[in-house]
Amino acid sequence: MENLEVVFHLSSPVSLGFPWVFFDSLLAHVMLREELGEKYYSLPTKIPVKEIPKPPVKYYHDVPVASVSIFEPQGPLQVFGYFKRGDFPFPRGRISRGSGFFKDFYLKAVYIPAQRARFYCTGELSEVKRLVSKVPALGKDRNIGFGFVKLVEVKETPFEYGLVRDGLAMRPIPVKYLKYYEDSAYLAYKPPYWARESVELCAVPFTRVELR
Amino acid sequence: MRSPLHQGGVEIDKEWLGKWREYFLAHYDEARVGDKVAEAAEFTRQYINEGLVSVSGGKDSMAMLHIITSRVKRNIHVFHWDHGPYLIPREVEQEILENLFKVAPYAYIHIWKYRYGWSEKARTEWRPWYSEFFKTLEELTRRLRARYHLLGVRADESSRREARGRVVERRSWIEVHPIYHFTWRDIWAYIFKHNVPVPRVYYAYAKLLGWDRVRLVTFFDREFEKYGSTTLDSILMWRHRNLETSRETRLQATTPRTKERGFQQQ
Repeated sequence: MENLEVVFHLSSPVSLGFPWVFFDSLLAHVMLREELGEKYYSLPTKIPVKEIPKPPVKYYHDVPVASVSIFEPQGPLQVFGYFKRGDFPFPRGRISRGSGFFKDFYLKAVYIPAQRARFYCTGELSEVKRLVSKVPALGKDRNIGFGFVKLVEVKETPFEYGLVRDGLAMRPIPVKYLKYYEDSAYLAYKPPYWARESVELCAVPFTRVELR
Repeated sequence: MRSPLHQGGVEIDKEWLGKWREYFLAHYDEARVGDKVAEAAEFTRQYINEGLVSVSGGKDSMAMLHIITSRVKRNIHVFHWDHGPYLIPREVEQEILENLFKVAPYAYIHIWKYRYGWSEKARTEWRPWYSEFFKTLEELTRRLRARYHLLGVRADESSRREARGRVVERRSWIEVHPIYHFTWRDIWAYIFKHNVPVPRVYYAYAKLLGWDRVRLVTFFDREFEKYGSTTLDSILMWRHRNLETSRETRLQATTPRTKERGFQQQ
């Protein structure tokens, strides 16, 4: 396994649903899409998929050695509001606008006008290269044009930066694996990141830590 | 590499806030907000003796409470509903309570708790909220023998609220809206002029959303998903998305309804 730096050059701002994008979950997402094919788009909603493929990265205990996103340049957050509010002819009769096809919404997409998203990891170079080449866009609301990827660069780095770099945590690391941590919060530290089982008291990304 | 985002959201840009403060103070004089305040106080006077003031801790209700306690009556009955840690993070709730005691030190403050607010389900199942809230309000109204409920509702907020009117007759009480004619600018102007304390989250959200759109609502609440609130909360309040699911927390979620009744500060 090699120490890698992956840089996504973006052609549109990245919309976020959480302050960071996890690199290992990005790889897992591509792998799951490859595995399921068209079925990926009709996943069951009542029983969520828990069998998530293991991305080709190194693990420190059960923590993937893959960083969260570093957006460059770091600008202020912005909000883009978009809505659906009865701007099409309604059929005759009674319809519900609170739910279903005619449901109204006024959504907000929080975005970062970044030009690059940088990640670090320790993994198999050829496999990581293959998987990242299949990422057309990053973040949320990609269907309305956010986070389009222009170019991906994968480079080798001399040191392992996926977990800790210059004393700073590069991703949530459970405090049980740390000798010292500056700040902590309840965060998901392994895939699936939406599951309660993955949540533990972790060191917050980009705060000072020392591994055990 | 680090940015205010990583601190947990409630970071206040003091320079930005200072500029807006100047703007709102100018608005206070230009729009004669003082006259509106005097009118609201005069209007409230007729209802306050048999009234119960409902305060969520948001900007409108805090401005209303300040007007009442500073100009009408100090020893009033105030009702506050604690939504529980899953809907209102404890830090925000703590701040709300501190603000309440600061603005209304002589009031009888009734804090009642939402039973399901100590369970994660409160974020996805919002229907029990309505029935429990109105039941609680009805019970409190009966106990205090209150006839009027004073709320910080403004006509400016929505066409539905505008259609409600300033005094509305309900089944068990009469709803009164003292600050009905205030605009969002008037509210912020009043808050800055009189240094009315409001939760700090307002300033973090206002920077992103704008002063006209910022509202204090329950966090991570699926009910407000169609307004994009959960996305915003996940970015600005990410620290509060996952709560400690320790045994104590789970126990609290299953214990019967707890209330802090008739809390009184003399």
